[in-house]
Amino acid sequence: MRRGPRIGLGIGITYLVLLAGAVLALAPYLLSLLTSLKQPVQLARQATLTWPAPWTGENYANVLGGQYTLLPALVVTVQVVLVLLVGQLVCSVLAAYAFARLEFPGKRLLFGGYLATMMVPQVVTIVPLYVMFAQAGLRNTFWGIVLPTLFGSPFAVYLLREHFRGVPQDLEDAAKLDGCGTLRILRHVVVPLSRPVLATLAVITVVSQWNNFLWPLIITTGPTWQTLTVATANLQSQYNGNWTLVTAATTLAMAPLVALFLLVNRRITESIAVTGFR
Amino acid sequence: MLALAPRAWHVDDVRTTRRRRETLTGFTLLAPSLVGTVVFLLVPVAVALWLSFQRWDLVSPARWAGLANYAAVLTDAGIRHSFAVTILFTLLVIPTQTVLGLGVAVLLARRLPGSGFFRVVYVVPWICAPLVVGLVWRWMFDPSTGALNAIVGTRVEWLSSHTLALPAVAFVTVWTQVGYVALFFLAGLAGIPPQLSDAARVDGAGPWRVFRSITLPLLRPTTSFVLITGVISSFQVFDTVYAMTEGGPGGATSVVAYEIYSEAFTALRMGRAAAIAVVLLVILVALTLLQRWWFGRRTTYEVSA
Repeated sequence: MRRGPRIGLGIGITYLVLLAGAVLALAPYLLSLLTSLKQPVQLARQATLTWPAPWTGENYANVLGGQYTLLPALVVTVQVVLVLLVGQLVCSVLAAYAFARLEFPGKRLLFGGYLATMMVPQVVTIVPLYVMFAQAGLRNTFWGIVLPTLFGSPFAVYLLREHFRGVPQDLEDAAKLDGCGTLRILRHVVVPLSRPVLATLAVITVVSQWNNFLWPLIITTGPTWQTLTVATANLQSQYNGNWTLVTAATTLAMAPLVALFLLVNRRITESIAVTGFR
Repeated sequence: MLALAPRAWHVDDVRTTRRRRETLTGFTLLAPSLVGTVVFLLVPVAVALWLSFQRWDLVSPARWAGLANYAAVLTDAGIRHSFAVTILFTLLVIPTQTVLGLGVAVLLARRLPGSGFFRVVYVVPWICAPLVVGLVWRWMFDPSTGALNAIVGTRVEWLSSHTLALPAVAFVTVWTQVGYVALFFLAGLAGIPPQLSDAARVDGAGPWRVFRSITLPLLRPTTSFVLITGVISSFQVFDTVYAMTEGGPGGATSVVAYEIYSEAFTALRMGRAAAIAVVLLVILVALTLLQRWWFGRRTTYEVSA
């Protein structure tokens, strides 16, 4: 407190910079939200930075139920995310437990292989995957969208293995003495003790699958199985320049995830720092 | 135990069956994940390798092409350009987002009231789909009805300008990533014991000196992580480009991932697309190993809080 005025000035500058950053981070959302509440005529004729006059919900009515409806894509996306959430968590938990607690020949080699595959980027596998799926007749099907990531990711296995190794062995031994098999130990001892890391992984899966674009773009054609990101992109290219409609679509596409984030933001911000997700 | 001792052979027998059962359980638990990894990760890499030696348009049968596709990667102007664009994009994005992320983290680490709010706000851009964020910014940059020109006051053709398009895409990428990068630095800063900087301050070091000689070296593991993951993801950027510019104008933003996409699904040259993908894979693995080696070589400091 000896250098009171200087510290006060420092705090003032800190807040000023943080505030400027916050404005920069939020402005595109707020401005596009305002645009989505305007009539197309107003955006075309008046200056961009004006309040909607009159305020209108017609753009939202159009992207929700009207002729440009995004609802089917929303339903597909929810289905995809739910199926992948269950598939990825179950498969990763099983594999991670095997790596963490069981002894079998080739374990170290296999785990090294898992670590190495984490270096393979998605862009590299999309062309061959497309070829494989086209041959198998899986183009433009639900399973075509989910299969490549249904069985978990090497990263999830790695993360869970690290965690499972920290679960006290005594508890598992006790359960074993009581006659529990591996699956029951997993269900009644390991999983309940790993709730935080599983929740983290669940959040990661939901966010990355909700936002996934490249694979659904390639493997689907037409409106039946397009996901929300693909549908939004198609809407934009089809109605290029119709920004009141497109901003309603983008706002709608982001809203569920932003709501989820605001609900569980502590978990997300903490889990990012711990896991380095993506 | 005592009762079992005279019948040691029996214990051995039990042990081998137990080991056998454990092996069986292990592989059973591993099976789904292992099958998934092999079929949807390793086999595709092998297929990409095979494809990269073929000439194939998905319609007529594939034909052996020898090294022609790799020769094209080296000589084709468009493909070479896409690598140059990607490198330029990376050079624009990585230093900017790292410095800004560190700056934001230092400010947030002062733990002033309201820091939690700012932390949430800064991460919002990153939680949204890059494709959707790209579309929002495509509107922001729109020359006639976009918000940016309304703020600037003149008509600038941001995304159809050869010189401005790539910086614009890079700017949006930085905009989405800064909060995310800051979270890592924030975690890194929290791991530095305050006694160290206190001691330096007692020795007469100013704030800048403390930052440079204490904070930065101790942050090296975080910095290396942020740089490695940043470069890897920046070499794969696709969604933002697709949403904002579709590779244009005139290929100015056609990054490698976009080039792979358009070779494969617009030009229907599967072999060429696969060859670019294989080259990209080699570059990314080499970069990862190189960066690990570079940061491992320098002294790292173990600090336990």
